[in-house]
Amino acid sequence: MNESRFLVRQVEPAQPLRFDPGKCIGCNRCVNACPIDLLLPAQGKNQPPVPAYPDECWYCGCCVMECPADAIQLRHPLMNQARWVEKNKLKEGHKWNCSNG
Amino acid sequence: MVSSSAWPYPDETREMEQIQADVIVLGGGIAGCMAAIAAAKQGCRVAVVEKAGAVRSGAGGSGCDHWEQCASNPCSSVSPEEMLQAMMDDNDGYNNPISHYIEAREGWDRLLDIEKMGGKIRDTEGEFQGAVFRDEKTGLLFAYDYKNRTTLRIWGTTFKPAMVAEMRRLGVRLIEHVTATALLTEGGRPGGRCIGAAGISGRSGKFYVFSGRSVILATSRPARIWLFSAAYPGLAEFRPLSCIGSGHAMGWRAGAEFTLMEKSVRGEFSAAGRSFPPYAAGNNHNTWYPASLVDNRGVEIPYADRDGNLLPDVMHRFQPAAGQKFFMKGGNIEQAKYAYDGPETLPYQKLQEQGYQLPFYADLSNLPPQERKVIWGMMIGQEGKTRIPVLKDLTDRGFDPEKHVLQCYGVGWKSGDFLPQERQLFGLVGGFMNDWHLMSNIPGLFVAGDALFSSNCYGHAATTGSYAGRHAAAYARSVPEILPERSQVEKERLRVLAPLARDLENGYTWKELNHAVSKAMQNFCGEVKEDGLLLAGLEVLQGYENEIVPRTAAANPHELVRLLEVYDILTVSQIILHSCLARRNDCPKLEFYRSDSLGEAPEPLIAIRQEEGQIHTRQIPLDFAGDVKENYEKYNTDYRQEVSP
Repeated sequence: MNESRFLVRQVEPAQPLRFDPGKCIGCNRCVNACPIDLLLPAQGKNQPPVPAYPDECWYCGCCVMECPADAIQLRHPLMNQARWVEKNKLKEGHKWNCSNG
Repeated sequence: MVSSSAWPYPDETREMEQIQADVIVLGGGIAGCMAAIAAAKQGCRVAVVEKAGAVRSGAGGSGCDHWEQCASNPCSSVSPEEMLQAMMDDNDGYNNPISHYIEAREGWDRLLDIEKMGGKIRDTEGEFQGAVFRDEKTGLLFAYDYKNRTTLRIWGTTFKPAMVAEMRRLGVRLIEHVTATALLTEGGRPGGRCIGAAGISGRSGKFYVFSGRSVILATSRPARIWLFSAAYPGLAEFRPLSCIGSGHAMGWRAGAEFTLMEKSVRGEFSAAGRSFPPYAAGNNHNTWYPASLVDNRGVEIPYADRDGNLLPDVMHRFQPAAGQKFFMKGGNIEQAKYAYDGPETLPYQKLQEQGYQLPFYADLSNLPPQERKVIWGMMIGQEGKTRIPVLKDLTDRGFDPEKHVLQCYGVGWKSGDFLPQERQLFGLVGGFMNDWHLMSNIPGLFVAGDALFSSNCYGHAATTGSYAGRHAAAYARSVPEILPERSQVEKERLRVLAPLARDLENGYTWKELNHAVSKAMQNFCGEVKEDGLLLAGLEVLQGYENEIVPRTAAANPHELVRLLEVYDILTVSQIILHSCLARRNDCPKLEFYRSDSLGEAPEPLIAIRQEEGQIHTRQIPLDFAGDVKENYEKYNTDYRQEVSP
């Protein structure tokens, strides 16, 4: 059988936490501070923790607050990223709509 | 994904650790920490059982920007008695007169405590010097009603770590990553004196037995009763996933009495579905008060006072209306009565008639610079879940409050509209019935914070926590130590560990059970109640209890904790159904409606408990607390008010 380049994986609806392996010092402060206990400590030395249960994330950012190395990034699910606009553009909104219509 | 073989903690499911103290505190959130500190200061040996790591756990761990109803602060022109009267009157008496009087009377003392621990409660650097909302003498900052000054703006991200450090300083024993699962009672009898609790580690599966002379429950309020998302369970409710009201379920099994559990409201908040993360979308409420709103043309939306008079400028948004002594909150989340109603933007229908166009946006750019800075950078930055998920997130993505306007979704703060059956225990809802000691009907079982009926915010959690700590300490000194009954302990150990030994392949997961309970509650206990539906709902839930719970399985101690939480959700759902059956008449103030109502004749508080499976109810008059000032002083003769600097 040919070896396939595809793999089977669990499809997650969001990825709340990203660790920068270049910055993480493996101190596990985030593991102990998470109010949901969704992180598991890394197996290897200086390795980032594992967000074992990302779906349980409350998106409080406490792990980021407690991280001494600025190694964690919090990202809201796409559906929860609110939109903003430049205030000055609001007055021009109608013109755009008309020209597009 | 992590494979099951990668579980990084040792298996200690065969071990049992026994911990003895004078006072056992269940839950290490704001109420639990303040309870532990107060009891330790009375000379008691204290142990706190916390499900996660205490430094940031609980609903208030990530921060808080407002301390409300602080009538006792040195700048307030409202007395604690006036404040309590307003809170009772605003809710037609369906409120907790004891806990809210404690909140109004002791709030300032607790803020001074927290300041001594290292929390920041005033503008010590003079960052807001000269601002209208700053008291120049004390450096305190106020919100909403600048004239009467009952709500303080605080740097709440500094509070929880300071409380945890204070507990360590006082020698409080912190048992972290351990979930309390049951109350232990004298002789193992339901309704008997509470003498301890059982718990389990979410890491190693080790079983714990805590014994004490008194126990304080500080385990938040129930959640995920109607609202659930398997994809985003962590976002299903306002509070953290770990706050699901396990204390209610433990209390019910032990014979504790509850009230107002029939009250639920149409969903206010769920970022798993219709809402955005709190304070992360445009609005002009709470933390965002009183941001300007503009419509799609950039035209500013007017604010009006309670009489509909348009306010000429931003500074009027902080003033009571003509003839009004004080207002409770600007930009109401729950509409206050006329007497206490604050300024608000015109209602949407009126705006539509006048040609305002959707979408609306929150606009901080035109506020006076200090008002903008105190909202964006202080309040958004100090409020729970705002420093990283709002302030940092939006700033990193390029949002500039001087240039950009943030879209509002829907009208008001909810950023979404829910279906009638999508309900939630939000605002002032039911919980444990309490006396003037904040003790439940079970001797030795004290209750604090969100587990109390009609609880609300951070200040309520901190003040009732501390109060319960003092009273539980006094109780502990007056009673002998009794050790838990071995049979009760063994029964609980078998119950909580069983799912780890069950068949994972064919078993039900916590998510499948939670979703089934939530769907059943939407079906059988929606907006309009009816006896037949409620009874059918009980039958379904009891079926889950008898047939499905024994087939649920967990792969590791973390999953086990989630599953035990859902067992508790199943129990709390049944408390709610029984409570709905017990209230016979419509009660609009409680958002309680029946298709088979006998009318709107007012019924008082209905207290409910179970004993050997039998439901017992009794009616309690709304004014059960009597004269609050007189009774408070009678029950707190030793209490010394802090001296205000």
